[in-house]
Amino acid sequence: MTAVAKLLANPPSVSEGMRIIGASGQLGYGVLADSLARGLERSPHMIGADMGSVDPGPYYLGAGRMATSEAITRRDLTLLIKAARSQNIPLIIGSAGTGGATPHVQATMDIVRSIARELRLDMKVAVIYADMPRDLVKKMLRDGRIRTLGPIPEIDEAAVDRATNLVGQMGQEAFKRALELEPDIIIAGRACDTAIYGTIPAMLGYPVGPAVHMAKIIECASLCCMPGGRDAILGTIEPGGESFTLESMNPMRAATPLSVAAHSLYEQGDPMVVYEPEGILRVNNASYEAVNERITRVRGATWEYAKQPTVKIEGAERVGERAIMCAGSSDPKVIEKLALVEKGVHEIASSILSGHIDDYSVKFHVYGTGATQLFSSAGLPTPGEIFFLVECIADTADKAKAVATVYKQYLLHHGFPGRISTSGNVAFPFTPPEVSAGTAYRFSFYHVMEVDDLHSLFPVEIENIKGNVQV
Amino acid sequence: MSASPVRLIDVATVIRSKNAGPLQITLDIMFPDQSAYELACASPALTVESLAKRYNVETAALNVIPYPPARAIKIVIDRPVVAGTPGDTDVYGAQQHLPLLDIVL
Repeated sequence: MTAVAKLLANPPSVSEGMRIIGASGQLGYGVLADSLARGLERSPHMIGADMGSVDPGPYYLGAGRMATSEAITRRDLTLLIKAARSQNIPLIIGSAGTGGATPHVQATMDIVRSIARELRLDMKVAVIYADMPRDLVKKMLRDGRIRTLGPIPEIDEAAVDRATNLVGQMGQEAFKRALELEPDIIIAGRACDTAIYGTIPAMLGYPVGPAVHMAKIIECASLCCMPGGRDAILGTIEPGGESFTLESMNPMRAATPLSVAAHSLYEQGDPMVVYEPEGILRVNNASYEAVNERITRVRGATWEYAKQPTVKIEGAERVGERAIMCAGSSDPKVIEKLALVEKGVHEIASSILSGHIDDYSVKFHVYGTGATQLFSSAGLPTPGEIFFLVECIADTADKAKAVATVYKQYLLHHGFPGRISTSGNVAFPFTPPEVSAGTAYRFSFYHVMEVDDLHSLFPVEIENIKGNVQV
Repeated sequence: MSASPVRLIDVATVIRSKNAGPLQITLDIMFPDQSAYELACASPALTVESLAKRYNVETAALNVIPYPPARAIKIVIDRPVVAGTPGDTDVYGAQQHLPLLDIVL
């Protein structure tokens, strides 16, 4: 009997409550084995982990690559598969492979198959894909049923074609269809992190508000604790389903009413509301009380089903090839005349490149003078040392590097009024100081799309992995 | 209320920034007790207008949300550049709290 079949055959009833382990908020960076083992001792009904995000930037979605290393991703998946299979409980993994598009899901499945063979395990895996059908997105664009979530360049049908990957965040509906096929493991493409944990309780009839609220907190593992950390967390829905408790599986971490309430702020634009494809979670009436010094009880969140289901869509497109050039300076004259130096180097370099390499962009990021600041660097003191990161983007890697090379030499030797160090303006930290940095991408889609048929949007496939059969 | 000027950095326990999705930055300021939280909530330095000036943005691009359960004030600002687009220099948005550090409440 598969893990989900076993759970559904004898489900924890609402009057009993249920236990869920949130194993990781970012699978692949190193799951903490001791905390996971302590979690298993509590006989959880399921284990979940989130594997992806837009946080690390557009490269991973655009390039179809994982942000995490293959070696540690394999380690983490092995730990979770072993844990779930040892108790025959469902393992649900969302946003596979960082971006959650088909290449990410396939790379994750390659690792899962190889682990199954290594451990000689048979496993029924439900795979949920999250790529958005391009024709549907174009139609929705034409019909005015896609809206932006903030300031982002205008999109059109050509942008749909240019996106190297275009995914939607699946919600409970997709996980429910996968669970009904009774797998051992679900590997989902791009997914709402709450749906990883909230779908089983909702299917079993638990009140949705508290279940989704718990899901929202445990998807970050022990981040809601004091001190916050990456250890597994136990979420327990209490009998009746109107409240739940949180307990880190690392005894050093305490879930306190304040630390749990504060977690609602984390990476959220609005701490009171969480938007999901099928509805809205409101936590404005949530209350937090200490059960003891390490466990907090939460109640009061409400769930409202949406009249119009929506899906958040994310897409990335290639901008060009990037090269960077690294140099530092501790010359007070260079630092004082920085704007003049930068302007002068731009002028000379562009006159040299003109007619040879025309379509490129160059940006100086001068660390020590506010390069990290997107809004204002007012009040930063004059630095004693600065770092030049010169970012060059062109349509080929060779061209980008050619631009960086010209900038390198003219930054080194640029003459300016008041210059005192006439043999060189900068120190290069290594050779060559100009480095190809791969393809540059940008997020072209971060929008909400109305959906009439959630069903067809996230197809589920079953794969029966025969790890016992060695080939 | 104290008569001498109170610096935000001296009364807040947390002043942090992070992306809330790739299009917005969220800043969270947390306080150790109710009186510090209330002092901050009442401060003219933490209004939409003052903060928009400090961050060089239009008032429409910035929102201030007090969050009593965590004794925290959240500030949400539209990003001038989408996270990770060439030209962005803070992909996670984790270093945009600098303009808050010299606020006097």
